[in-house]
Amino acid sequence: MNITELKRDEIAKVISLRKLNKKYTNRLMDIGIYESAEITLLKVLAMGRLYLLEVDDIEICIRFNDALLIEVVK
Amino acid sequence: MIFLLAGNPNTGKSTFFNSMTQSHVHVGNYSGVTVEKRVHHIKNFEGANLVDLPGTYNVSPSGEDEGVVTYSILNEAYNGIINIIDSTHLKRNLHLTIQLLELGVPTLLVLNLKDALKNNGYVIDTDKLSKILNANAVSISAKDRNKDEQLLVADELKNIRTFKGIELEYPSAVKWGIQRIHDLLRYDILQVNKKWLALQILEGNQGIFQFLDLSKEEKIRNVVKEVEERIVNEKVALSLKGAIFNTRREFLTKVVDDCMIKVEDKEHSKYFNQKIDRVLTHPAWGIPIFFMIMLGVYQISFGNFLGVGAFLTSVLDYVWAEFVLNYSSIALDFIGISGFAHGLIVDGLLAGVGGILIFLPQIVVLFFLLAVMEGTGYMARVAIVMDRFLGRFGFNGKSIIPIISGFGCTVPAIMATRTIADKKERVLTILTIPFVSCSARLPIYVIFINLFFNKYRAFVMLGIYLLGIIVMLLSAKLFSLTYFKGSGSNFILEVPPYRIPQLRTIFYQAFEKAKRFIKKAGTFILIGSVILWLLSNIGPSGIDINPDDSFLSVIAGFIAPIFSPLGFGTWQATSSLISGFLAKEIVVSSLVVLYGGEAGIGIAFTSLTALTYVVFASLYVPCISTVATIKSETGSVKWTAFGVVYPFVVAYLVSLVINLKIVIFIYKNTSLKMGFYLEERIIMKYIVGNRIFSYNHNS
Repeated sequence: MNITELKRDEIAKVISLRKLNKKYTNRLMDIGIYESAEITLLKVLAMGRLYLLEVDDIEICIRFNDALLIEVVK
Repeated sequence: MIFLLAGNPNTGKSTFFNSMTQSHVHVGNYSGVTVEKRVHHIKNFEGANLVDLPGTYNVSPSGEDEGVVTYSILNEAYNGIINIIDSTHLKRNLHLTIQLLELGVPTLLVLNLKDALKNNGYVIDTDKLSKILNANAVSISAKDRNKDEQLLVADELKNIRTFKGIELEYPSAVKWGIQRIHDLLRYDILQVNKKWLALQILEGNQGIFQFLDLSKEEKIRNVVKEVEERIVNEKVALSLKGAIFNTRREFLTKVVDDCMIKVEDKEHSKYFNQKIDRVLTHPAWGIPIFFMIMLGVYQISFGNFLGVGAFLTSVLDYVWAEFVLNYSSIALDFIGISGFAHGLIVDGLLAGVGGILIFLPQIVVLFFLLAVMEGTGYMARVAIVMDRFLGRFGFNGKSIIPIISGFGCTVPAIMATRTIADKKERVLTILTIPFVSCSARLPIYVIFINLFFNKYRAFVMLGIYLLGIIVMLLSAKLFSLTYFKGSGSNFILEVPPYRIPQLRTIFYQAFEKAKRFIKKAGTFILIGSVILWLLSNIGPSGIDINPDDSFLSVIAGFIAPIFSPLGFGTWQATSSLISGFLAKEIVVSSLVVLYGGEAGIGIAFTSLTALTYVVFASLYVPCISTVATIKSETGSVKWTAFGVVYPFVVAYLVSLVINLKIVIFIYKNTSLKMGFYLEERIIMKYIVGNRIFSYNHNS
């Protein structure tokens, strides 16, 4: 499953970032979204365009298209 | 001695920098606000300087501004590094720390936000951390500006020790790669540890190839490829970067577990943040709230009602006209200076500079309010609510921050685009931002609105601003459909918690802007006004002549016919636009100088030509500082040239359409034709007549 399939306030573990491009993956890793990181879906914003996540106490906003490519497991 | 200050974005790095040094830098709550390198003296440490580097998560650059960090480490002269760390997000912050410690230069770890961590119920065992990481560490709370803490940091810096760089147990393929690259670097003379450089290259730090001219670059790249294959084939990790990252993460998890001590059970709630966010980022209310806030900001800066800025400007205007102009004129008469020199000083220099200086309060108030918005963390929310809307036109959600700064000044706005990681989206933003009406263009609108559209003040003002925004959006759409097609839409925005901005910092920011504005008025605009006055009073036949026979009239008169289709093909209007290229403020100064005061402008324009002139002036070629910034930020002559030609063409076409449309409208309504025209002339005469009377009366 991917991030967009999570429900609000659900916690999941990232299992793969393989589908994303390299530069973006590096950026995600830098701010705390890496394989095996725990994320919480806080909210879906801007009418489904943006996903607000929480990782290690930090709130991060990513786009729907990218959230679709981040594989997670509950 | 020189120390580099490195740290993640949003760790209070700039606050620390401000409290430790003797002067301030711009402080923001938005990822990557500090985009320029700044150097200041360190307090309590004679002869030591601190260099503020842009916030970064990683030594490898991923945005334009982060390249500065790699560049500084590789090429600058320094004696040590101060690494500022957000204690409340220790694990993530330490990723950068590890990379700095691997470098093996003297490093001081400053664990900031001690209070916030304590409020969460934790403390950090700095002694233990210092021991494990083999570097000095102190815990502080930078925003308190505590003198003891400042002394403590200065003392630690004085006694900073040189350590052997930390070495982690990387997978064997990585270790092999480090050794191979290290060997390949043996002929290169470098100021940094070669093993560190090898590891950075393996990690994918492109900045190294960019900033260093390595003799065996090709071979090094092949080694990286080989290691990457080994990592994937041996199933160590999914990528080379991933393998290095995982080793660090495992090590850091242990470090954090060992050093982070829970002292109190506290349920730290994010209730407050979430409650505000529920309103401010609401799908329906988010955008209207943002517009309401902006309306408030503009009302306070420029409006009549509650308008602090506009009020102060009118006071300054009165003081300037009644005292400065009047008394200098009297003083000059008294000491016997008259004629040409008198005109040069009063009508050229003082009138030109004063015409601009009186707008200072409005601009300071605007910058103050924008700084408050940024300092609270609201700007990140604006990026969220505007992402969808701006995305439709090819912008990135983050473009909203530069766009808003663009209402102040285009130059910092273009610099602020450095936070947009995607190159195409960034260039697109840079090329369209000049259409946003900067504060320097405001005097042009104000003066023409006063003269011609006083009845519809707010309407015309809003219209001009909206026109700029519409042209910007449509241009962006046009670009994104053509050349910039398919630009990457990767977007990561860190949403910081709301903070109460520090008044001290915000006052300082507004003060800095005021200083810059006064400096500009005292140099650029002063010289511009004087030259303009001289050119318009000296001609082929001598000095002190009728301006119509002046050099300026000859030169500008040659170009003026280009503007005839727009309705203002006079040499005065043309020269004001040409001089506006130096700085947009000069447009008004030169109109005032060339037409001999506001009254003269009132006679020379009709409401229609006034409108086309204002529209043209609001959209045409950006000022010279902006053009220079476009050049330095895009690094491309092609884009710079485009950034000059495109706005000119757009401004010309829009003004032409307005001119023709209204002329056709008048022509079609033939019954109205004469009436409208005559009526307008009569009204004009009336207004102008009155103005001349009151002007003469005043002076």
